[in-house]
Amino acid sequence: MTNQSCVKIFNEWDIVAARQLGRNVAKELGFGIVDQARITTAISELARNIYLYAGQGQICIEKLYDGGKSGLKIISIDSGPGISDIRQVMEDGFSTSGGLGAGLPGVKRLMDEFSIDSSPGSGTDIRATKWLR
Amino acid sequence: MENLIIKFIGSRKDQLVNDWKEKMKNEADERALRLVSDQVFSGASNEFVEMIISNLKETKEQFNNRLNDFSEKVVRLGWPLHFVTEGLRTFSKLVWEGMQEEKYITEENQMDVIYTFERWMTPLQNDVVDIYSRTWERTVSLQKIALQELSAPLIPVFEGITVMPLVGTIDTERAKQIMENLLTGVVKHRSEVVLIDITGVPVVDTMVAHHIIQAAEAVRLVGAKCMLVGIRPEIAQTIVNLGINLTQFTTKNTLKKGIEAALELTNRKIVKVEGTK
Amino acid sequence: MRIPILKLHDCLLVSIQWELDDHTALQFQEDLLHKIHETSANGVVIDITSIDFIDSFIAKVLGDVISMSKLMGAKVVITGIQPAVAITLIELGIGLEDVLTALDLEKGLEKLQQELGD
Repeated sequence: MTNQSCVKIFNEWDIVAARQLGRNVAKELGFGIVDQARITTAISELARNIYLYAGQGQICIEKLYDGGKSGLKIISIDSGPGISDIRQVMEDGFSTSGGLGAGLPGVKRLMDEFSIDSSPGSGTDIRATKWLR
Repeated sequence: MENLIIKFIGSRKDQLVNDWKEKMKNEADERALRLVSDQVFSGASNEFVEMIISNLKETKEQFNNRLNDFSEKVVRLGWPLHFVTEGLRTFSKLVWEGMQEEKYITEENQMDVIYTFERWMTPLQNDVVDIYSRTWERTVSLQKIALQELSAPLIPVFEGITVMPLVGTIDTERAKQIMENLLTGVVKHRSEVVLIDITGVPVVDTMVAHHIIQAAEAVRLVGAKCMLVGIRPEIAQTIVNLGINLTQFTTKNTLKKGIEAALELTNRKIVKVEGTK
Repeated sequence: MRIPILKLHDCLLVSIQWELDDHTALQFQEDLLHKIHETSANGVVIDITSIDFIDSFIAKVLGDVISMSKLMGAKVVITGIQPAVAITLIELGIGLEDVLTALDLEKGLEKLQQELGD
């Protein structure tokens, strides 16, 4: 698909590559500076989650065109240990890695739409969308 | 078969229109009638009936033009959609009953007439709803843009002091817009203190307060200070009753006091010049 | 690449000019603490005008380095946080509550002098 491009996440440097990709696509779609920062930050959080918890996975950026609207979707997929209590990770301040615990709920606040699909042992699939206003 | 209907409507048009108006006046919700004078209602009603008939007689294009004009007009008049669809139904019922009375409809052609009615009314109804909702959507989006334009301006009043007056209801979308304006403005004007004036905000609930607190925090991050002014008694009451904590930033009841405090913060004050006439 | 740390009287000046990756951020934390120790500086101004986004990791590194500097007796002022960065930080839920901020380097130095004055 030409509307989708992906970055594989294996190490820290790939986090930089993923957000670079996201920023370029956001710019190309015509997002403003603040939304570009929101998207870049969300990608960074998701990519870091993959690196920290799953070891490897991938981040895909998809351009969306729906009627008159256009938007950007971040798809974060890994086949790591998965999340046993999704409600818990969506609470502010919850962290198992000693971070600020702002990760996933933060991403949800930064983006317009957010969905998470995960169960222990089968990896995690997170999708977050931002629409161009 | 269409011709039969056209012929019938043609022969009794005035009476049909009158009957329809009578019926619709009972149906119409108060609002639709109160808003417009009898004359306007009457004009619009005539046009409505003309439009229904034109669907049978004229080409698709002519009809669409008529429909566009008409729907724009009734949206402006504030006719609700259910009133318009009810109007269509009532009209077809009147025609049907009239045709029965006048013996246009016979045992043999009854089914044909029903089908013709069906072919006439269903697409008409779809078109009306479609155009009507599209006109509405356009109106709404225009109003949205208008609202955005009137969103929060940032006014520099003294060196290092700017004021942002907020007017009207604040929803999430607007709050984001306000925050962006506020921050870019603070950086652009190199403000040390920014006053948010909420005199014109009718209701401050937890959500609005939350947005204001967020904006104040963001202002602090870019390196300025945020002050909330224009707090009316009822707003102070709701804020405390809702348990919203605004103690972390300075609040004043009027813009005047706020500006005095802001000047003080930047080591200045307003003095009266003495000795001049 | 390391972030240069400059000394000006009893203050340290840092201007971060490019996007921080995790490694650079951690390296910076270490370098700054060493420099504070070496010069026994009383204040630090970190200017991040060129940074156009901060995620929770970098925010944590920054927050940590500020607390650590405080422990070593140096006050830190962050300057030049861009509007877009401030908005995303707040939306992420990161308030950087105890951090001193200023509009730009100049105002940052002024603020530092004030803070050190009293």
